[in-house]
Parts: sequence; C-alpha cells; structure tokens
Amino acid sequence: MAGRKRFNYKTREGLQGYLFILPWIIGFLVFTAGPLLFSFAASFTNYNITSQMDFIGLKNYEKLFADDQLFWTSLYNTLYFVVFSVPITTVGAIVLSALLNRDIPGMRFFRTVYYLPAVLSGVGVYLLWMQLLEPGTGLVNTVLAWFGIAGPNWLFDPDWAKPALIFMKLWSVGGGMLLYLASMQGISKSLYEAAEIDGANAWQQFIRITVPMITPVIFFDVVTSLIGGFQIFQEAYVMSNGEGGPVNSLLFYNLYMWKKAFEAFDMGYAMAMSWILFIIVFVLTIINLKLAPKWVHYEGGGK
Amino acid sequence: MRHLKWLSVLFIAVLVLSGCNGFTKGDSAKKDKQAEGEDGKVVLDFWTFWGSEIRRPVVEKIVEDFNKSQDKIEVKHTFVPWGDIWTKELASIAAGSPPDVVINDINATALRGEKKQAENLSKYLEKDDISGNFYEELWNATLYEGDSYGIPFNTDTRVLFYNKDAFKEAGLDPEQPPKTWDELWEFAEKLDVKNGDKYDRMGFYPLFGAGTDVWMLNADKVNFIDENDEVKINTPEKLDTLKWLKSWHDKYGDNNINSWQSQMESQQGNPFFSGDLGMLVQQPTFFTQIRDYAPDLNFGVALLPEKEPGNGNTSWGGGFVAEIPYGAKHPDESWEFIKYLTDKEAQEYWAVKNFDNVANKEAAETAAESDEFSEDGKMVYGLAVEAMPHTMLTPTPVVAPDFPTLINPEFDNVYLGKKTPEQALEDAEKKVQKLIDQNK
Repeated sequence: MAGRKRFNYKTREGLQGYLFILPWIIGFLVFTAGPLLFSFAASFTNYNITSQMDFIGLKNYEKLFADDQLFWTSLYNTLYFVVFSVPITTVGAIVLSALLNRDIPGMRFFRTVYYLPAVLSGVGVYLLWMQLLEPGTGLVNTVLAWFGIAGPNWLFDPDWAKPALIFMKLWSVGGGMLLYLASMQGISKSLYEAAEIDGANAWQQFIRITVPMITPVIFFDVVTSLIGGFQIFQEAYVMSNGEGGPVNSLLFYNLYMWKKAFEAFDMGYAMAMSWILFIIVFVLTIINLKLAPKWVHYEGGGK
Repeated sequence: MRHLKWLSVLFIAVLVLSGCNGFTKGDSAKKDKQAEGEDGKVVLDFWTFWGSEIRRPVVEKIVEDFNKSQDKIEVKHTFVPWGDIWTKELASIAAGSPPDVVINDINATALRGEKKQAENLSKYLEKDDISGNFYEELWNATLYEGDSYGIPFNTDTRVLFYNKDAFKEAGLDPEQPPKTWDELWEFAEKLDVKNGDKYDRMGFYPLFGAGTDVWMLNADKVNFIDENDEVKINTPEKLDTLKWLKSWHDKYGDNNINSWQSQMESQQGNPFFSGDLGMLVQQPTFFTQIRDYAPDLNFGVALLPEKEPGNGNTSWGGGFVAEIPYGAKHPDESWEFIKYLTDKEAQEYWAVKNFDNVANKEAAETAAESDEFSEDGKMVYGLAVEAMPHTMLTPTPVVAPDFPTLINPEFDNVYLGKKTPEQALEDAEKKVQKLIDQNK
C-alpha cells in the first residue's frame, strides 16, 4: 500500500489532532467567529441594534480614551479586583488542598464540604452573600463582633465593597482546590520518602516538592482565573442592583459596558469597549505564556 | 491502523451531528405554525415578566377573557423572567421576529421610540383616541416627538405610612400626619427613642423607601434633565434638598442607617411592622406586606409632605406600558389586544386582584371602592389614587440615557461626608452636561 506511506508519522499525528479538535473548530467558526468579526466591524460604527449603523471611524475609541467619564473608573475597579482576587484565590486553593491531602479519617467528608460551594453558583449565592454581609444583622459582622471587631459596612462602603467581593470569591475556591488535590495526589510518594531520609521537614517538602510538581496546574489556574477576573459582571450586577455600588465602587468594566449597550443602547461603543478588554486580556495572557517556561515544571519533559 | 482511522472519523461525525441536533426544532418554525392558529385565528405572543403566583394567574385570566371576548385573535402569554425579558426582546427585534405585545418600562418608552424598538401607535390613536383614559403624566412619558410608542398599563407612587400607636405614645395626634418637611423633622424628633448611640425607635429617615431624586422632585418638580434637554441639577431647590437629606443622615449616623436599612430589606423583619420605625415612605403596594406580616398594625397613610406650605405634595412613580415591538407581524391585532388590556374592565381586575396602581383613571377610581378590599385596603388605595395627580415620572432623557451612573456617586459622596452638597451638585451638573455634549 504505497498510499499509506504518503504521510509520515508526524504529519499523521498532526492531522489526527486536528480531527479531534474539529468539533470545537466548527463550533468556533459557526457560532463565535461571526459575532466576533461583526463586533469588531461594528465597533467603528454608531450601531444601536435596531435603527442605525453608520461608519464613524475611530470615534468610539477616541471617546473612550480621551473623554469618557467612567472608563478609567471601571478599568481601575476591574484591575483592583483582578490584582487581589487572582493571587488570593490561587494561594487559598493551594493551601486548602494541601490541608485536605492527608490520610486521616473523615477526610472525604471535609473534601466534600469544601467543594460544595463550588457546585452552588449564580444569583442565589450572591443574594445569600448580600445577607451574610449585611452590616447590622449579617453573619459575617456578627462573628466579627464576637471577637470585639466592629465589622465594616461592606457593600455600603465604597472602600469595602470590592474587598467584600474578593472575600466572597474565596468561598468558592473549591473548584481550584479539586484540581490541585488531583495533581498533588499524582506526585510520587518516593520523592517525599527520599526527602524525609535527607531530613527535610514538612515545610521544605511542601515548598521544594509539592509546589514545583503542581506548577502546571497553578499556571492553568492563574491563566483562567485572570481571564475570568477581567470578566467579572454578575456579582456586581446582582449585588448592586445593576447600579454600580456606592460611589461607583462596583462599576466593573463589563458592568459599564452592559450599561452602555442595554441602557444607553450605544452598542457600537460597547463593542469598542469589549475589544479594548480583549486586547488587555490577550496581552496579559501572552506575557503569562512567555513567562511560563521560567517557572512551570513539567514532569519528564523538556517542554 | 486503518480501523483506528475510520473509528475516529465516525466518532467525530457523531460529535458533529449531535452538536447540530439543536437545529431540528427551530424556534421560527414553531412560531410560524403558531401564528396561523387552528381555526384561522391570528395567534399573538404576549411577553410579560409576571410569573409570580399572585400576578401570573391574574394576567392569564385577562388574556383568557380577551380570547373569549372575540373570535379572530388568540393571545398566548409567555412569561420571561425580569432579568431577561428586554434584552431578549431587543435581540428578537434585531432578528426580525419579535413577540407581538410586550410589557416594558414606561420611563424609557420615548427612548425605544427614538431607537425604533417599538412601533409608532399614532395611526391607531387617530382612529380611536384613548389617550384621555390615562393619567396625563403617564401618557406624556410614552411620547417621543409627539407620537406614542406604548400604552400605560400599571404604575405606582410614593406615599407616607405612619404608625398611629407610636404617634399616640409620642403625644402626637394620630389623625394628623406631618404635612411639611419641617413637621417631618419635628415629629421624627418626638418619635425617636434613643438608647445610647442606638435607637429603640427611629422616627423617620427619608431615604429608606425613596431616593435622593424623589425628594428633589418633591421640592421643585423639575427632572434632572428637563423636557428641553437642559440640565437642572445645580438648582437652589435641589441644593436645599440635598442639605436637608444630609442633615437627616447626620442625625442618625451611618451605623444606625445601615443596620436599619438591611432590616428594611428583609420582609418580615421590617422595623415598621414591629413599631420600631415611626414613619416610612413606600409604594402603596407596601400595604399587602403589612396585611400579610403585621395584620394588627395600627397605621395611617398620607401624601408625601411638601417642602413648604403650598409647594405641593409632589411624589414620584414609575410603571409599565404595553407596546408593539418594532417589526411585529400582526400590529393591528396587537393593537386590539393592547386596547383591551388597558381598558377599564381589565385594568380594574388587575388593580383589585394585585392591589396595584393602574394607569386607567376610571379603573383606578372604581377599584378604590371595591368590596374586595378591607377597610385599611380602601384607605391606602384611595390615598394612592389621590396621590396619582401629584405623581411625576422620570422619563429617560434621549440625550443622555445613562446619566444616573454619573450623579448617584455624587450623592453618595455627600452622605459619606466626602463632598459638600454644593460641590457635589456642581460636579454632577458638569458631568451630565458633558455626557449630553458627547452624545450630540
């Protein structure tokens, strides 16, 4: 069969790879690529969904950078959220999974309990947290009061509204925890045994063995939660009744974009905003990918 | 090797096909079939966000009555959740297959007219002019350049609820609610029961059931952006109002206000029900909560107090319109249904069953006399009807629809003590003016 020799091993492997991701590619081309290109084109127009779509050049972008009175506020709020929430939730998830990666009786129960919040999601959880964070009667301040701490006004105080949201995000580290836990359980016991024989204590084992071995998962978690962090919308929309919180402290980028699109019906403008966000996230992700080889350790591979 | 290849092709083919499965039952195919109806009737799709166990049966009864009242049109009610209904509608308008009638926010009706999201109803109104059936302020909110784009359905207002027993205790006449801002302050002082830094009973806090904008409207009856697109934020009356509101805020302090505010939001725990709050501004429908959670409460209602004697008891309200989305397939039939929906019979039924303010004047006045209401119910509804002519709306200005995002933070800053009222209003005025200039 001469024909079968047409492709060498490498090409064939590549083709098979493409074949496997074909469903995603088709989905992307059919459902995502069209709207994506459309939004890019429409960001140069005054598109309002129903009655107008005239080319206005770079005016939307000029207005955003030079004139908009809330663009920088919303970008600042979003960056604030990302800068704090990504490291805190990542470290939180690692610490939690390290604690849960032990062989003691009842561990399954604790793993389930800590994972549960990750299963619950959406508006119900935000409403629950609004109650928990109520300054006067909420559980959070009640518990703080037991220790003599006068809790802040959380969502009513512009200085505390964003920290309140970040704090809330910590509650659902269970999702990340699951990934870290799986990865930690894959680490060979012999590494720890060898370290123990060499006299390394638990902390040294954690820093020198566990952390390097789970860096691929850390990398994945950081990249995805960074992207997710920039897209924060629902939390602010629900918890501030769509208003943006006290002194616009919860007016995140996507909330402001939503207001422009569906309150002012300035869809072209909102689309320009979405492309700016895309570029920001894109650049950060590229930086992440470039930095990865310096700290991400892949077992058994020079990759 | 060969088997493997075919297997993978097959596998992917299955994946692709299963992905396409969703296409077979397209929404549009279903709709076309529906639109014809069984016996040649025109079928209309009517979208509302009324899905609660109280409201849904009422709206569906009205639809059923309409369907029985004639044999050409059949209306089907579709409940779409509050958070989705208008974005979904917008997408369906853009796609060219909108519902036939939809319930939408009255304040943004002109904006939707300008953006061609709703059909111009003038040609129908020329034939049967029903504009006189509704409160004038409501009707005017539906107009863009003189044409109506939606017919008012229900509405609301803000009135003052007060605790008669607390009034007696404080040595006030329970039949004499406060009439002016000064009296509000004076009565509140008498009603206050202080306990250290905290309060066992709070007399009144104006921002519990109403926003800064409501009191500003009460003071000068002028919207932030008036009908000539002029910014009217930094005015002497609004400055007075902001100072007055700030003095209330200082009187009770952040901690008390926040902790009471949160109790206010949990229904059963509302301090007004327990007698811990003397007076409260609320919508008339608040009565249904008193009825359900505090049936023994001895309370009264009054018009919103006026700034000074003779200034007027101006209140604030909103509401919803029934409208035909732009590009709907059967506008003539839709109009027939809207007429029924906003006519006396349906409106009265809605008013009585939901204890809700309706836009049709005659229906509202008849409902106030309804035997289905208790004595207290009649008292509250009657006052609500009395308040309607004093009630102003805040129509979304076409020149700057999203201006509240710019001014609310300024008010917040005043209450937080970060800006003086003068500075805040000056800044707010500048920002809104800038937004208008940008949008030109």
